Amino acid sequence: MIRTIKTQLALAALALTFGASVYAQDSMKHEDKAKTLETGSFHGKVHSTSGRATIYQEADGKLVLRLTNFKTSNGPDVHVILIAAKDADDNANFLNSSTERVELGSLKGNEGDQNYDIPSGTDLSKFQTVSIYCERFNANFGAAPLEKF
Amino acid sequence: MNAHVGSWLSGRKWILLAVGFPILVSAWWAFRPEKLLINQKVSEPSPFASSIDPRPVYTGRLEGKAHQTSGRATIYRTPDGKQYLRLTDFSTSNGPDVHVVLAPSDDKNLSQEIVTELDSVELGSLKGNQGDQNYDLPASLDLQKYNAAVIYCERFHAVFGFARLEQF
Repeated sequence: MIRTIKTQLALAALALTFGASVYAQDSMKHEDKAKTLETGSFHGKVHSTSGRATIYQEADGKLVLRLTNFKTSNGPDVHVILIAAKDADDNANFLNSSTERVELGSLKGNEGDQNYDIPSGTDLSKFQTVSIYCERFNANFGAAPLEKF
Repeated sequence: MNAHVGSWLSGRKWILLAVGFPILVSAWWAFRPEKLLINQKVSEPSPFASSIDPRPVYTGRLEGKAHQTSGRATIYRTPDGKQYLRLTDFSTSNGPDVHVVLAPSDDKNLSQEIVTELDSVELGSLKGNQGDQNYDLPASLDLQKYNAAVIYCERFHAVFGFARLEQF
């Protein structure tokens, strides 16, 4: 019995010595809480756009996009979309018919914090960029490339 | 004669009006220029905000300089006002006397691999070169100024990597 414990201790000591790898307790992580999956900052030149886009996963698996400290210019028929690209530049006519997109809804406000539901089954490894998109003029007001949080 | 010219003019005006007005209306509808001046503010609450959890205030991706370094650095604030830096998905190379410090991200020293003198705030020795880890921040710290998390080898004055922290 004691030998087993000693062996275990020795193994633990070895593991500690050779793999200086730590896993601090994440006080944020609870099973019943929303998880932060991805985040990114907005950049925009056609219309100055700033703020942060973050994708959360709720406890039941639902995905939500949240914009914070958000500011863009107001405009006609502006939507929030996810596009299958690593990033979007600020060219006026940026969205080709070949670029896949997921519609998240009309922009609720051009300033302030806001949430958008993401359709279930959306592949976030494919749709990596949030775009504030003016449908009428096919213009990209601003884009936020998302990275793992 | 005068009356004739007058009625001809007003007829022309009518055509101008009939053509011009719809053009103006559709141009207004298409561009909605007044929207450039009118803001629509919203403030939706976070659907999962909880006042008892630490919340992220600043975050950034780590980039390697002298050694390959990757992961995310995030500063959390607890409800009682304490702040800590958390590294996640973190990986750097192991080394002698490696520290985690905060420094101004516009410090030109950070653009080099070896620095002469770094204006920095010490957070502690690097706990591990891989894995998630937390570092307490000093109570009064200007995060507007010290807005970069730096993995710094004290012995060789080498910047292993750093992350520019942006508001979460």
